[in-house]
Amino acid sequence: MHSVADKKNLISIAPVGTSQIVRDLAIVAAAFLLLSLFIPLHWLTDFAIFCILVLSFDLLYGYMGHLSFGHMLYYGVGAYAASLSLLHLAPNPFLAIGVGIVSGFAVSALVGLVVVQVEGAAFALVNLAINQIGFWLAFAGLQEYTHGEDGLPSSVEALGFLDFYNLPVALGFVLICLVLVFCLLRILTTSPYGVIIEAIKENEDRVKFLGYNTYAYKWLTFVIASTLAAFAGTLYALVKGFVAPTDLSPLENTRIIFSVLIGGAGNLYGAVVGAVTFEMLSNYLATTISRWEMVLGAMLLVLVFWFRQGITGYSYNLFLKMRHRRRVGG
Amino acid sequence: MFDTLLYGVTIGAILYFFSIGLSITFGTMHIVNFAHGMVYSLGVYLFITFLPWLGGIFPLALAMAVAAMLPVAYIVERFIIRRLYGESLDYAIIATYAVLLIGADLIKYIWGTAPQPVSDPVGVPLVVFGVVIQFYRVIVFISAIVLFLGLRIFFSRNVVGKVVIAALEDSDGVRALGLDVNKYFSIAFVIGSGLAVLGGVLYAPITTSEPYMGFHILLLAFAVVIVGGMGNLTGTFISAFVLGIVIAVTGRYYSSAADTMVFVVMVLVILKEPLLNSMRRLIGRRARA
Repeated sequence: MHSVADKKNLISIAPVGTSQIVRDLAIVAAAFLLLSLFIPLHWLTDFAIFCILVLSFDLLYGYMGHLSFGHMLYYGVGAYAASLSLLHLAPNPFLAIGVGIVSGFAVSALVGLVVVQVEGAAFALVNLAINQIGFWLAFAGLQEYTHGEDGLPSSVEALGFLDFYNLPVALGFVLICLVLVFCLLRILTTSPYGVIIEAIKENEDRVKFLGYNTYAYKWLTFVIASTLAAFAGTLYALVKGFVAPTDLSPLENTRIIFSVLIGGAGNLYGAVVGAVTFEMLSNYLATTISRWEMVLGAMLLVLVFWFRQGITGYSYNLFLKMRHRRRVGG
Repeated sequence: MFDTLLYGVTIGAILYFFSIGLSITFGTMHIVNFAHGMVYSLGVYLFITFLPWLGGIFPLALAMAVAAMLPVAYIVERFIIRRLYGESLDYAIIATYAVLLIGADLIKYIWGTAPQPVSDPVGVPLVVFGVVIQFYRVIVFISAIVLFLGLRIFFSRNVVGKVVIAALEDSDGVRALGLDVNKYFSIAFVIGSGLAVLGGVLYAPITTSEPYMGFHILLLAFAVVIVGGMGNLTGTFISAFVLGIVIAVTGRYYSSAADTMVFVVMVLVILKEPLLNSMRRLIGRRARA
């Protein structure tokens, strides 16, 4: 994994050009349109939302190396805030998205102030604990607002042609969001900021010695990742019209971590490939194989022990090897 | 109130049994071992299976379950944990989590998803001065105290114990001593796993067992280990009882928040320094301005 990261750094130090962004846009959009030929549209919409969530986690884990077991909390905050906005303020989708994003930002900005001061296991577990507290709030603590276990149904009005209950339109809207998030993350990770957070993953002390305020960078990354997760949550609430406490269950975090790993951590395409692969596996395998969790566990072990680069890292290395062989062979 | 306290120390005792292994693995090998929950729940299910075979004799079935789980624990240590030594924390968490997931699914496959109750092996409530005492819970509490004292002796007298204690202080230093530390870590790991099964079986009559019970107690035990100080065995003992009482007392007044309160305590303990730092920063900035 390190060798891949090194090679990638050499490439990505230069600021991203417009052509790169256009290429990203085209690839992600084309891939999903191609998938739409084989996969039912309502699944594909879920896939795209999940991709946004996994991309946001990749910024925190893949790029900055901070494993969190509490990322679902912000997804849930976004989803609940959007639903509550639809119910109590106005059934306007953009207002709901705005409210969800602001709530995700507010919660993560506060939590981030303290959690980014701890490292490693403590960071993973304190986030898990905070996620568990959030889950309990949705489940029982704030039952008056969230309706606890019953979940919170909401409905959204159609704005012109933008009708979230029309599948192709919903998919199109979510896809546009996915592409926007992808490009935002591409710009961020190739900027000087992106280089610094990758340096924090490698060795935070050295970054401090260089005079950077690593605390501020870690806080900012935590907040960006969490806010994007909240954004994914708002889209989920809009498309599904229903939120339940299980949507922010701490156990759901494994889905995100697994996706990032299978695709290849610290790579935006890796996050998208991983998310789609995982969703396909869990949608198709879970219906055909009854021992789905066992298969998932076995695959996680294989990933950790023999396949750490993930799909994208593996293919990239294969590509390098082949190019090398072609050059040497003349 | 006495009932609540007794319930609290019983939960504390169970948490202590479970957390020792977790604390040792974390302190010596720097691995957050989710697989501990697999050993725990599989052990309890084996116990539930053995109990009717052995004519309902509780201690015998308990011993059989613990004995049956020791080789499983050894396999987990040898083929998963040891390979992860010195790796980054994330991979260890993910690999042991995978083991936990496989264990939960195996239980669902063999025993089904229905919760499994176990009847109280003592069953006779003791009445002392008009207060009803669940005698079984007193036994659980006392056995935790005995275990704590026993472990103190073990860690100060036995070579395995000494190596583990030294490794808790400085694991790289112990590796440089020329001892076959892997062997000692293995033994300590297997002992910790046996204690987790013991705790799980003792807890079975108080609660009901279900396939995902390992996940649940793991979350609580992480809180215990963190509040007690990672790798601090006396701290683990004290924090297990404190958190057990927190669960019981919260549960008495606001039952749905019982477990969540533990996480609140854990967050406060982990974030004590960062919280103080943040406050100092705020105050410092104001003083300067």
